[in-house]
Amino acid sequence: MLDSVLIFSLLALSLGLILGYAAVKFKVKGNPLVDQIDAILPQTQCGQCDYPGCRPYAIAIASGEAAINQCPPGGQEGVDALAKLLNVETLPLNDTYGETKPEHVAFVDETLCIGCTLCIQACPVDAFLGAPKMMTTVIEDECTGCDLCIPVCPVDCIHIKIIPSTLTAFASNIDEVKNG
Amino acid sequence: MARHKFNGGIFIKNPYPIDKIKIVPAPLPSKVVLPLQQRIGEEAKPCVRVGERVFTGQIIAKTEDDFCVPIHASISGTVVAIDKQLTPHHSGLKSGCITIESDGKDEWIDTNFGINFLRSSKKTLIEHIQKSGIVGLGGAGFPTHTKLNNLKNCHTLIINGTECEPGISCDDALMQNYPQEVMRGIEILLHICGAKHVIIAIEDDKQVAFEALLKYLHNDKIKLQKIPTKYTSGAEKLLIKALLNIEIPSNSFAVEQGVLCQNVATTKAIFDAVELGRPLVSRIVTVTGSAVETVDNYTVRLGASFAHIVNLSKPNTNLHSVRMGGMMMGVDVDNLETMICKITNCIFVNNRQKPIKTQGCIRCGQCNLVCPVNLLPQQLYWYAKNENIDKSLDYNLLDCIECRCCDYVCPSHISLAAYFVFTKALHANKVKEQNKVNIARERFEYRKYRLARNKKEHAEMMAAKKAQLKQKMADDKTQKDKIAAAIERVKKNTKNNDDTSI
Repeated sequence: MLDSVLIFSLLALSLGLILGYAAVKFKVKGNPLVDQIDAILPQTQCGQCDYPGCRPYAIAIASGEAAINQCPPGGQEGVDALAKLLNVETLPLNDTYGETKPEHVAFVDETLCIGCTLCIQACPVDAFLGAPKMMTTVIEDECTGCDLCIPVCPVDCIHIKIIPSTLTAFASNIDEVKNG
Repeated sequence: MARHKFNGGIFIKNPYPIDKIKIVPAPLPSKVVLPLQQRIGEEAKPCVRVGERVFTGQIIAKTEDDFCVPIHASISGTVVAIDKQLTPHHSGLKSGCITIESDGKDEWIDTNFGINFLRSSKKTLIEHIQKSGIVGLGGAGFPTHTKLNNLKNCHTLIINGTECEPGISCDDALMQNYPQEVMRGIEILLHICGAKHVIIAIEDDKQVAFEALLKYLHNDKIKLQKIPTKYTSGAEKLLIKALLNIEIPSNSFAVEQGVLCQNVATTKAIFDAVELGRPLVSRIVTVTGSAVETVDNYTVRLGASFAHIVNLSKPNTNLHSVRMGGMMMGVDVDNLETMICKITNCIFVNNRQKPIKTQGCIRCGQCNLVCPVNLLPQQLYWYAKNENIDKSLDYNLLDCIECRCCDYVCPSHISLAAYFVFTKALHANKVKEQNKVNIARERFEYRKYRLARNKKEHAEMMAAKKAQLKQKMADDKTQKDKIAAAIERVKKNTKNNDDTSI
């Protein structure tokens, strides 16, 4: 009788120690669900969802605070992917948050730019290159097309530029393929 | 005969055979259109202006991209336009082109910069090959200098004279007419790569070419080898398998395994560039098909229109369907106004036929048997149809060489390869987008960190300044006295003022 009690309490103690150690050692940092949601979001960082960037929106979705259909750049595909991840019914994209636009980047008309640097401050991904009273330009490869720089420009010299399809990035339409 | 073989592949009879293969020099075109986009890499930037006079062989566009070669004027004349035009590409999209109008003189740039290859270093030669605009002339247009630069411990050099696609005879013509140049080109390549063996692979239906090359075979390292006529034997990895029984892994290149594979036409182009100092401005093109009277090979300047040489073959007046490249792997083009580019090895002009109706897949498995790279096309087809990229990748989609053997045997006439090309493009775009998204995420996170750091640094700096000032005040006795004196003075003044005002 005493043996069993001893054996089991020792076992419980050692297992408890192992579990306690594992809980400290392998502690999951951050919320893994937030990372998964963040991976689906388009990282435009445009703030159209009313959150200051994609990650804050991901945190809001994970906590159940925000709906999954507030991301216009992600489009309906993005909403569907989020619904699949979270195992909920998919929703139509809420158009009060804006509409899905074709892929584009910002473009600075350099003849008009006065070098006020307001766009540099507005850019969520630091895609602008410039300095006070110097001509500013956009690093096209890093621009996400969030359009946050357009309203802040005092001389309206920022336009959107649609990215043209090129030969190297061409994918035909599946229907064309099916019809031969 | 080669001892080894690869699975699958098909034997297709040349539908338009000719008795004697000859090369007809085409007249100088009156106008050439040279596309700026090459097979890979970014579009070249023009370095001439509209209205500028150019000489044959002059560089008219170049790029910093390491994958690309400069673009040379193929005739002398005046640049009349730099704009977007249709190029032979399955997308039907327009891309940048330079148009030159000929002055009929064909004045060359100074071509006396041919180099003695035996006294030149590997690096010089590779740079020279790049400057001369040489890309793989077999049909894929992979830049030759990239292959040479990535070469590791080369043990075997393979000269690809298989020309396995039925109907094409431009390499055959080249080997029959320029065996000496091909051999000299091989010597140059051998000097660059330092291989121990050279194998010239020729399909066994090209007896004349074989004999022509045999006449100039004076090097012990070089071996001429016949391989059985079978479609897709000319594909680099499969040719290596057939000749050396080395299988190149799926995510690796032949050059990384010490095997260099070059087309015979590329070899001759290298000879022209190194010995004669002439950049690549012309090539041999086969014109064939059911709608032309004579099937022939033409040497033609790059950038000339298809019509320029097709007219020499006397096409009939029916409606035509035009195809660039072989009957299997070629690209359909809209009309004969398309330009000849470096990868145009053949032009098929056929009488237009009603398209064959496709039917559903019956899972007969024929395609599995003929696939030369051992894929399961019918299984891939289902995934590709549903745009399921991940599953397609599981079935090694990226190994597909788009040879269309599966299309050829499909009893339901499904264009299987078109599905695979489509899914590959989807995958490439997805990868590109994912990279962009990752960069955006990283930059957003970094900006957040940067702003927080700036704020903290600013606060720290202000606090430090304040503390410093306080310290200074505390330390400086005279300052204190001065302030006390000033206060005293002000008090006194106000007192005096008060007194006087009363």
